[in-house]
Amino acid sequence: MITRRPLLLAALAAPSLARAQTAQRTLRFIPQGNLANIDPVWSTTVIARNHGLMIYDQLFGLGTDFQPKHQMAQGHEVSADGLTWRISLRPGLKFHDGAPVRSADCIASILRWSKRDVLGLRLNALLEEAKAESDSVFTLRLKRPWPGLAWALGKPSANICAIMPERVARTDPFKQIEDYTGSGPFIFRPAQWVPGSLAVYERFADYVPRQEPADFLAGGKPVHFDRVEWRVMPDPATAAGALLNNEVDWWETPLPDLLPRLRRNREIEIDVINTAGNLGVLRFNHLQAPFDNPAVRRAILPAIDQRAFMQAAYGEDPALWRIPAGAFTPGTPLANDAGLEVLTSPRSIEAAQKLLRESGYAGQKVAIMTPTDLANINALTEVAADLMRRIGFNVELQATDWGTAIQRRSNRNLPDQGGWSAFCTTWEGLDTSVPGSHQPLRGNGLEGWAGWSSSPAREALREDWFNATTLAEERRVAADLQRLVWQEAPFVPLGQGRPPQAWRRSLSGLVKGGPSLFWNLRKG
Amino acid sequence: MFAYIIRRVLATIPVMAVVALFVFSLLYIAPGDPAAVIAGDQATPADVERIRESLGLDRPYLVRFGEWVWNILNGDMGVSIFTNLPVTTMIKQRIEPTLSLMVLTLILAVSIAVPMGVVAAWKHGTWIDRCVMGFAVLGFSVPVFVVGYVLAYIFALELDWLPVQGYTAFKEGFFPWLENLVLPAIALGGVYIALIARITRATMLEVLQQDYIRTARAKGVGQRSILFLHALKNAAVPIVTVIGIGMALLIGGAVVTESVFAIPGLGRLTVDAILRRDYPVIQGVVLLFSFVYVLVNLLIDVLYTLFDPRIRY
Repeated sequence: MITRRPLLLAALAAPSLARAQTAQRTLRFIPQGNLANIDPVWSTTVIARNHGLMIYDQLFGLGTDFQPKHQMAQGHEVSADGLTWRISLRPGLKFHDGAPVRSADCIASILRWSKRDVLGLRLNALLEEAKAESDSVFTLRLKRPWPGLAWALGKPSANICAIMPERVARTDPFKQIEDYTGSGPFIFRPAQWVPGSLAVYERFADYVPRQEPADFLAGGKPVHFDRVEWRVMPDPATAAGALLNNEVDWWETPLPDLLPRLRRNREIEIDVINTAGNLGVLRFNHLQAPFDNPAVRRAILPAIDQRAFMQAAYGEDPALWRIPAGAFTPGTPLANDAGLEVLTSPRSIEAAQKLLRESGYAGQKVAIMTPTDLANINALTEVAADLMRRIGFNVELQATDWGTAIQRRSNRNLPDQGGWSAFCTTWEGLDTSVPGSHQPLRGNGLEGWAGWSSSPAREALREDWFNATTLAEERRVAADLQRLVWQEAPFVPLGQGRPPQAWRRSLSGLVKGGPSLFWNLRKG
Repeated sequence: MFAYIIRRVLATIPVMAVVALFVFSLLYIAPGDPAAVIAGDQATPADVERIRESLGLDRPYLVRFGEWVWNILNGDMGVSIFTNLPVTTMIKQRIEPTLSLMVLTLILAVSIAVPMGVVAAWKHGTWIDRCVMGFAVLGFSVPVFVVGYVLAYIFALELDWLPVQGYTAFKEGFFPWLENLVLPAIALGGVYIALIARITRATMLEVLQQDYIRTARAKGVGQRSILFLHALKNAAVPIVTVIGIGMALLIGGAVVTESVFAIPGLGRLTVDAILRRDYPVIQGVVLLFSFVYVLVNLLIDVLYTLFDPRIRY
């Protein structure tokens, strides 16, 4: 017999049960920063890329072995001369508005991406013709063979080749899109977007995942949440409190100083998700003295202690960084030890001082910019400045913020005229894993990354990498490139940072390999 | 009085014009380039220049200023360079949390600080007075973020009474709204309470020396009436002035408090915009804050006439 009391209790409990069920189906995530813009082709930010990976799918996706595999593509064929790529699409793919994904959408998306991305620009230069054979098959005809095209189309680092509807992909690549219709497993809800605070995603019910286990960006992308909330929290202590208090499920960038506090809580797990991490880089201005002189740049190498840089930036725990790091991201297929003794032999300030004296350095001012609003980069820069002072450089450490630093980097003048001499930064490990997207490695002078290093030899080797058809060939090129780096010193690798992430143990199925991914995850 | 208010409202126009010119010029000469931030690390100078052109940042100062002023006059504050959202939309999204925080802090501060100041003046020289002044010194000395962290640690992490962070809109219920704002309001209110309590005490001490207070006592008026009806009303003008001036403290403090408690308010919007050089957003928010500050001061001027009928405009 049903009495009034249980009925009343059940009625009272109903709203909290409903809330609990909703919470179970909602993932609350603290991203590394503010999602300030949401066009992963227009923006180069890591967070816009992460957003892009949620709402857009890609033709190819990298597996945990960093090799490209089919994702939206059902298959592909390359002609015997290597010039024609014929790509077919998986059946049943849909955009968030219900329209089918067609060849025309893919071509328009590729063309827009090819105007902005570093590898896209190569495709832009090589592309003879892009043509839809049917709604599900299209061809890309190149002027010269490019075996790495699948890698480029599936590259996970910014800018990604996100597949958008043709009407959206026709937007000028230098302007932001205004239509957020995607092709990925999540739908973005712009009406609920509060930049700097909240971004909301919902599961795309019509998304057709591959029938394979999740494998980084390849394989299936099954979604087990109805809603994902990105809750932006600029203050690390607040974010830690929110995680400890079960107000969020997952924190992407816990501060190393706060890890001991988090580790004391049994409900929280800490591990490295992005195994490629990022590569610390000391970059020189090759146009102005003293670093226009390769002997001056090389003089620093004997004193570089990667451990000191990593400890300053990521803390004492050696699980959070990896040394020695050569020119390529440690742990990725092209990482090698060619000439690495330059950084692994016993460190010596005296040897560096001797080399500096012999280099002809005349005491010119060395202006080093440090963006104090980016803790890791600031730490790397302070170690670099201290080291250079001890070697004998006339160092002026100039504290600034990221917005100013990135503008000043484009100034090619002398330090006294607003220019600069050196800076430290970090590059996404996935970018620095191959010569194609490795900007510090390039030698394209004034056309290149800030620092404007010019080296026909490095450019020629990069071209060899593009033309390599086997991993063994790629590795040979990478080893040659690394030897050149020690000789020409366009930059100095400072170690591989492997920032950990923290999440509540109720979460399972996190996909490892690179950026934070939201499929395959379960709660409870 | 009415004519005075109209005159004062009209006087805000040149003030706002000066603020607008100042803000626009300051951003124009400030280092940093949103186009370079957008273009990112990989960009070539040509890419940056193309983005600058697409944002209209390559046009002359006067053209940009004129266009901005014209748009403002037409109620259009522009579009954020980064989010591509209208600045008015971004401000609308953020105004409720900031307003809620400031109003709650104001209520909390006034309702605690004024009685504290009155009691301290009444018990002048006693341990109560010293306690109140000690608290005031503490309130001034301890930064808002430290108070915020300590409160969050005790009441959220240790006792689990209140959430660490976040904001719940008022429309979703009074108590959820209040739950999220209690700790931030206490943290932000500390300085404000200290300021008002000190001024209240000092002014009350002066008023309590007046002849009419002695007369009231001689007539047998009760202590409570003397303090809160006779003395406090006459001490109100400086107290209200400090409350008005303190609005600037609140606006500044809200930036820190909103960051510590992850409240999606205008303070955080301002900081984010400054760091990214999102000029339209910075200009819009600073104009809004200036306007609010001018209006609060006008309100204070009007309140003077209520507390002191001798004041005439």
